[in-house]
Amino acid sequence: MNLEDELRAALRRDNPSPGFAERVVARAQSSARPARAIPRMMWAAAIAALLVIGFSTAYEYREMKAERASRDAVVALRIAADKLNIARERVLRRETPADTREN
Amino acid sequence: MLTGGIAATIPRVRSGEISGAMTDDPERFEELVREHQAMVFSMACRYLRNRALAEEIAQDVFLQLYRKLPSLESQDHVVHWLRWVTAHRLIDHSRHEKRRPQSPLEDAPEPASADSMSDADPMLSNMLRELVAGLPENARVVMILRYQEDLDPMDIARALDMPISTVKSHLQRSLALLRDKLSRQKGVGL
Repeated sequence: MNLEDELRAALRRDNPSPGFAERVVARAQSSARPARAIPRMMWAAAIAALLVIGFSTAYEYREMKAERASRDAVVALRIAADKLNIARERVLRRETPADTREN
Repeated sequence: MLTGGIAATIPRVRSGEISGAMTDDPERFEELVREHQAMVFSMACRYLRNRALAEEIAQDVFLQLYRKLPSLESQDHVVHWLRWVTAHRLIDHSRHEKRRPQSPLEDAPEPASADSMSDADPMLSNMLRELVAGLPENARVVMILRYQEDLDPMDIARALDMPISTVKSHLQRSLALLRDKLSRQKGVGL
């Protein structure tokens, strides 16, 4: 025989110890499935947490905007009322006759 | 070249479609393990010269296969994937082992296998296995795929994602080295 034939004979396939396949299947069933399920559950929890955070942030932002808008509206109304009062006083002063002022 | 991402670089081969049900059926997975256990275990055993460690690595490879099955498209793809993953697992393992001190027990050679059932000279076979196990990592995997799996250089290049010229040069150099060592150790001229 030449070297290549000797190598084929020396390196030919050999079987593992009996029960190898059963041990692999048992390990696959005991470890692979939960290992697969845990990351899925973690993904679901992470997505749910992100959604809750997103919705609550959006809600708070809207509330804050509404509050600021109502405060701005009250300030604007006060300014408008002040200006109206000043204008009203000026009008009243002009309409009052000079004689009544003299008396 | 050999240490790239595993799943991304494996070419897909289509023939003999795998049923999707196989992934959820332990009996069919067991059939698959039985069908390929000799290939995976022998690759590890010839590479490591340690049956216990070879079984451990073979188990890990099949567990990885179990998780990967849904994305494998055919029997050919499974075989190709198993060779690829086993080869890289073995190379990674020996590189990792080089970095840590080894206990003497881990160096214990595998017990004699079924040599008595063949025409081959058991002593010569044992010597050849030892010499192959002493080759550098990539050359060792190439020799195992060539002479255990009977793959031609083109298939080895595809299986290992390696240029064919590199495969051929590994084969030539390894054969020359084995011839030289054999003739020096035992005066065997092959």
